Amino acid sequence: MWYQESFDVIIVGGGHAGTEASLAAARMGCKTLLLTHNIDTLGAMSCNPAIGGIGKGHLVKEIDALGGLMAEATDHAGIQFRTLNSSKGPAVRATRAQADRLLYKSYVRNFLENQENLTIFQQPCDDLILENDRVVGVSTQMGLKFKGKTVVLTVGTFLAGQIHIGLNNYQGGRAGDPASVGLAARLRDMPFRTERLKTGTPPRLDARSLDFSVMQEQPGDTPLPTFSYMGKTEHHPQQISCYITHTNTNTHDIIRGGLDRSPMYTGVIEGVGPRYCPSIEDKINRFGDKDSHQIFVEPEGLTTHEIYPNGISTSLPFDVQMELVRSIKGFENAHITRPGYAIEYDYFDPRDLKQTLETKHIENLFFAGQINGTTGYEEAGAQGLIAGLNAACRSQDKDGWTPGREQAYMGVLIDDLSTLGTKEPYRMFTSRAEYRLLLREDNADIRLTEQGRELGLVGDERWQRFCEKLENVELERQRLRSTWVHKDHAAVAELNTLLKNPLSKESNLEELLRRPETRYDSLMSIASFGPKLLDSEAAEQLEIQTKYAGYIDRQMDEINKKKRYENTLIPTDFDFSKISGLSNEVVAKLSDTRPETLGKAARISGITPAAVSLLLVYLKKHGLLRKSA
Amino acid sequence: MTDTASPISNNETIAAQATAPGRGGVGIIRVSGPLATMVATQLLGKVPAVRKAEYLPFLDQDKQVIDQGIALFFKAPNSFTGEDVLELQGHGGPVILDMLLKHILSLKALRMARPGEFSEQAFLNDKLDLTQAEAIADLINSSSEQAARCALHSLQGDFSKLVQQLVTDVIHLRMYVEAAIDFPEEEIDFLGDIKINTDLKDLINQVDEVMAKAQQGAIIREGMRVVIAGRPNAGKSSLLNALSGKDSAIVTDIEGTTRDVLTEQIHIDGMPLHIIDTAGLRESPDKVEQIGIERAWKEISQADRVLLMLDSAKDEHHNPQQFWPEFFAKLPKDIGVTIVKNKADVSGIATGLSIEHDTPTISLSAKTADGVDTLKDHLKQCMGYEGNIEGGFMARRRHLVALQAAHQSLITGLDQLESYVAGEILAEELRICQQHLNEITGEFTSDDLLGQIFSSFCIGK
Repeated sequence: MWYQESFDVIIVGGGHAGTEASLAAARMGCKTLLLTHNIDTLGAMSCNPAIGGIGKGHLVKEIDALGGLMAEATDHAGIQFRTLNSSKGPAVRATRAQADRLLYKSYVRNFLENQENLTIFQQPCDDLILENDRVVGVSTQMGLKFKGKTVVLTVGTFLAGQIHIGLNNYQGGRAGDPASVGLAARLRDMPFRTERLKTGTPPRLDARSLDFSVMQEQPGDTPLPTFSYMGKTEHHPQQISCYITHTNTNTHDIIRGGLDRSPMYTGVIEGVGPRYCPSIEDKINRFGDKDSHQIFVEPEGLTTHEIYPNGISTSLPFDVQMELVRSIKGFENAHITRPGYAIEYDYFDPRDLKQTLETKHIENLFFAGQINGTTGYEEAGAQGLIAGLNAACRSQDKDGWTPGREQAYMGVLIDDLSTLGTKEPYRMFTSRAEYRLLLREDNADIRLTEQGRELGLVGDERWQRFCEKLENVELERQRLRSTWVHKDHAAVAELNTLLKNPLSKESNLEELLRRPETRYDSLMSIASFGPKLLDSEAAEQLEIQTKYAGYIDRQMDEINKKKRYENTLIPTDFDFSKISGLSNEVVAKLSDTRPETLGKAARISGITPAAVSLLLVYLKKHGLLRKSA
Repeated sequence: MTDTASPISNNETIAAQATAPGRGGVGIIRVSGPLATMVATQLLGKVPAVRKAEYLPFLDQDKQVIDQGIALFFKAPNSFTGEDVLELQGHGGPVILDMLLKHILSLKALRMARPGEFSEQAFLNDKLDLTQAEAIADLINSSSEQAARCALHSLQGDFSKLVQQLVTDVIHLRMYVEAAIDFPEEEIDFLGDIKINTDLKDLINQVDEVMAKAQQGAIIREGMRVVIAGRPNAGKSSLLNALSGKDSAIVTDIEGTTRDVLTEQIHIDGMPLHIIDTAGLRESPDKVEQIGIERAWKEISQADRVLLMLDSAKDEHHNPQQFWPEFFAKLPKDIGVTIVKNKADVSGIATGLSIEHDTPTISLSAKTADGVDTLKDHLKQCMGYEGNIEGGFMARRRHLVALQAAHQSLITGLDQLESYVAGEILAEELRICQQHLNEITGEFTSDDLLGQIFSSFCIGK
């Protein structure tokens, strides 16, 4: 049976990718359907109750700069906020928040329910409806069919999920939810390359059974950070502390004793787990000389006693989990509320995706989130937003858009996935970005909001605030530039107390601010230099731009040099074996990835500059040299 | 959108030697790109009139004359590459040309052209006919291979070890710095430690040392390695003498490391050649002689070209592959071999080049020098002397440029760390440093770096 209405964009899955995808498409004016197997789990945080961190916080700010929800929801649900790397310079500073699971979920659900142009429907999606190599809709478990111009799949770990606790295993999505088996089987029949990944969670604990007095308290930061550019600390609920405790040699002995019943170490689990998020049994096995590992004791919320002990993810049998937990300081009488487990799931080789997250094999079908081999709410949300906006563009017959590597961590994420693929759950790190000094949390709005506005993603209020901030930055920059200080200036004595080397030649305030030892606030505190901007975000922005100016210029130079390759498109279905002179290995690598641009081709490991030149010469010879718009 | 007027604009300025390496004749350095006029101003004190040859001094940064020569300036699009082009024709001599190129590359934002890149650019800018695409592709391919081979050779021995050590140490340092940035909650923040500072200073000293040695030319070799192999008394020494001759070559005896392998560096028409005369290759029960033969094989495996000397007065010359199957079986596939049939004056065979059994074969008489010129031409062709292909000098310059740039990044990084505790800037400088070193040793990706971090530190909640 066909559902009577048809849609521009159909989103399958209501996790973090699905949420951002639905909202983006709806914001852009598309008639959007969000199809979820359970409305009550919309916006659920299935792993640890935290948002942000290094690299990830950057992604959240970028989602926010494009009008997305994740930052705003975190501001309304965060119960402990911190700025990481605050001592290391603005480019690598990142915001992280502990979130109240229930507050987060209800904020997201409420927001989704009130979004204009968005319809929510509960039914498991079982199949895609195709016409040749084009998707035209989806069908559900009960046989209901939805017609849609585009479809975005954001099905996360639910795709053929297999849960492991000790040597027992069963089919499932996140614990307590069903796996999406029918859809997985159907997708496996399509020409996508499928692989297995693995991830895990720790057992959850009852706070009333823990002794916090022997643990180290970790309060939030003051002043309290906010996530959204539109966020205010007044949005935050009550703030509480996290705690830190450690494993000990006794814990490690217990774990070693249980390895013979570990699905990881007995070969039951085939999927590849992340190198950076190992289970506790992995940590002990691989770093045997370490006597102790940190555990972050994170509250799950204000209204629950459940605790997420971050650092002891495990798939050991339940009896071993009990024993190991109780060997830890402060956990001696711990009651486990839910056992830890590992989960294996399907993902699709993201090299089968275009830069817009549309699949190369099936037109109008987009993939976002864990299905592409990533891990993390932030990575999922970022892809969701990009897939949603591109699906929306497609349904409106407009050109799509994805930020480049020089523009956003989102761009790094999607370019890495679609060009290099991934062998482990992909997580963002700042070291993945070659333009790290440009891609900062503080300037995500400057990098993206204008483009977001053009696409229809950014609302009036945000746009107004953005313009105001930009204007403040520019006006203040002009003022600093045109305020000159001569050696005989009345304030020089006071100024020299701030400088490493006393003023020797006439300088303007911008030049003085560029000196590493000066700060905007202290310069402005000199009477004739002030008053300082009241818009503290604009002031911060100006200061950072001024301090990094030399490096920003250098990275911009580097970007301009690469434009030549980035803008050169390689035709789809291009036969790389036709280029004489390329080695078989190079041809195989290029054919595997089918890079969309010369720039992407150059980034594939093992593709030499000479190979890129040969490709370029071939394209030129055959009149195939086209620049992307 | 198709942009036919300027299909693909290169906004970089590139420079390199446009003639093959050698000592004699005229050497040309070509600069192509938007900064060509800037280079002219810096180097000549003026931009020469378009398409007019001007005889001018070439100046270094202290306005000292490096060389005198002809400067030519071509305005885009009327130039070989279709970009602004400056050509400097000096008096040649690898050292002078190298100094000139070094100075040009030290100017802002220039980079060394990749092998075949001038022609590539010319092709992309419609300066060459479309039918020449195959030729351009071949040139890119062959010159890249040749460059890789030269680079590999200049990377043998001590230089390679030092650079590898350098790269290992840079990676090690980056591992600490990047881990501190990406995992601040993991109790591995060493940025405040004196360790990073000390390591960084050690690293700078190391680069200093490598550069000093490389500058002296002590450890980077240039030129082509030609091994003369053959049975005793095939006339290897006579050939060596004939090649190094009276007027065209300088013979420098370098004391052989063993009594069995003698290395000589000669120049043929300015082309540097390392001739290695190996011990006679023959079965021998003698232990000492066996060691000698092993060493000879080691030399052969590092050669660009092997000359197999045969006595044309003996039977062995008719079908060497059949006569010496074990020699050809053992010879690495990628090394070219030329059969040299000596003693034409005795056997009476005709001298000259022929192809026998798919192998270039030259008959000559080392004694009368009849046919030796043919061999010289053949060798020049083998090392790309007659084509537009880069040689050892360019490989060496590439390495030195990379080292210099790596050095600068380390110095800036140290300053940022010491003066301002700016870890993220140190990280950026180390990234740039590694990028430069990658040009010598090959690629090291950000994922490789993460791999190092995860295998060294226990990361993860």
